Amino acid sequence: MIAYLVNLATLTTIFAVLATSLNILIGYGGIFSIAQAVFFGVGAYAAAQVALHVTPDLLVASAAGAGAAALLSICLALPALRVRDEYFVIASLGLQMLAVTVFTEATPITGGFGGLVGIPPASLLGLPLTDPNAMLAACLGFLVLVLVLTRVLMRGSFGRSLMAIRDNDTAAEALGKNVMVLKTLAVMLGCAYAGIGGALYSAQMQFINVESFTLDQSVLIMAMVIIGGTGTLIGPLVGTVLILLLPAALSFIPGIPPTEIGVVQQMIYGLVMTLLMIFRPGGLVTLRTRRQ
Amino acid sequence: MLFAQLVVAGIQTGLLYALTAAGFAIIFGATRIFHVAQGAAFALAGYAFLMSNAAGLAWPLAALLAVVVAVAFGVGMERWVYRPIQRHEASFFTVFVASFGVTIIAQSLIEVSFGRGFVTLSTPLTQARPLLPGLYVAPVFWIALAVTAALFLGLAVFLRFTRAGIGLRALSESPELLRSYGLSSSRLSVLAFAIGSALCVPGAILTAAVTGLQPSIGAHVMLISLAATIVGGIGSVSGAACGGLLLGIAENLSITLLNTQWSEAASFIVLFAFILLRPRGLFGLASTR
Repeated sequence: MIAYLVNLATLTTIFAVLATSLNILIGYGGIFSIAQAVFFGVGAYAAAQVALHVTPDLLVASAAGAGAAALLSICLALPALRVRDEYFVIASLGLQMLAVTVFTEATPITGGFGGLVGIPPASLLGLPLTDPNAMLAACLGFLVLVLVLTRVLMRGSFGRSLMAIRDNDTAAEALGKNVMVLKTLAVMLGCAYAGIGGALYSAQMQFINVESFTLDQSVLIMAMVIIGGTGTLIGPLVGTVLILLLPAALSFIPGIPPTEIGVVQQMIYGLVMTLLMIFRPGGLVTLRTRRQ
Repeated sequence: MLFAQLVVAGIQTGLLYALTAAGFAIIFGATRIFHVAQGAAFALAGYAFLMSNAAGLAWPLAALLAVVVAVAFGVGMERWVYRPIQRHEASFFTVFVASFGVTIIAQSLIEVSFGRGFVTLSTPLTQARPLLPGLYVAPVFWIALAVTAALFLGLAVFLRFTRAGIGLRALSESPELLRSYGLSSSRLSVLAFAIGSALCVPGAILTAAVTGLQPSIGAHVMLISLAATIVGGIGSVSGAACGGLLLGIAENLSITLLNTQWSEAASFIVLFAFILLRPRGLFGLASTR
């Protein structure tokens, strides 16, 4: 039971990093991407390769994951600079579909459908993280790091310029903001976070395959951000906890056969997303000072 | 002859995409609502047809039932989801997420009710017959061709010559002006949703007969018809039709060049190229926004 809870807490922490990463794009940048699982996957594969062939150190693996994701984020930045709104959403959907095919076919790097197995247990600066509690602590450490960095960046000039572009890019450009550079940096930052999330995920699971990086996963991450509340630091965390606890909570309700839990869970978050958009489009955690 | 065979298969798939994408384009053109739940309407209509037909309903009645289901779904979305959202200041993303949420709900409802596997309709119409040496064409191809041609002809006449059709086109250009002429924009958007949703029914029925349905078919069709709309030029009905046809052919021809696993990805490679090189699509007007 304890082991189950620790595992759930670690996964929640990892997904909190992911939700924060998408929040940079959706909440602060106004870049409505539904391809976050792609960069989650890129980070996970890069980190797994590093862990398998170079060193199991979590810092090195995360750096590799973040770097690979940031590098490939150009695939998202290009359409983001070119088109917006509906067009961009579709471009990101297209990227997501393409990436799943690439992940499945690039067997030498990703292991295809079989995935990468036997990823060695992670260590941190020479200390082994074989104990689940130590792994949880390490993931929490990464989450705090990501949150602090987000807060500092979003409070500063970069964040304010980014939000100005989100609210009105013509006005921001007229004030001398370099829209192209700022948007590209925002995409790189968001994707790098997702890469870190991927690195932590591959270290925690010690097995990854393409199933974890599909459109469904992207939608799940999106639901976390949307349900929690976009453009706030706390919102995505609340959304993550709610969505990840839902299947666990459902399994305690009698009358739902275990095979149907996934479907019921999907139905609930679809319903919550729709109802929230009708009645409270800002998400559960709406900033009082939202219009600042 | 493999090439010709694949082109025929591509046209057949493309025609189905074209109809669904045209329905999406009518809705988006008139109301500026990004109705991604069009895929859910497709899936619901397909399942309604299959299940009522399996229960012993004659096929014309089952098809009628499918139309009723699709139209009721579309109009219900307009009334109970989009209109409340548009009452407060709504970004496009709010509408998108709500619509996407409904797609997820519809998919899981179908999964619960009818199971995850493929369901299909067995009919002699899908048996291929030789047309030329080495080229096999099933009668369903001619049906798809005739139905699509008839519907697009009817649609063109409707949009050009009837009062409601002209109203729909006017709504997409200037809702304010339309209202000052005394036309009801809310009644016209209901009409747009009804027509747009009904247009996905033939595609749903033919897909049920040709490849079969599964719960995630809605999401797949939605992606393809969105891609077709972009390739054709957003809001342009003829553009969406050409886009759908092009993607259907690309999907099938990619088999000759690449592995079969890449056939779905081919559509998105085409889409990506369009977004980067020609974002307004084949027939789209230069975006004024």
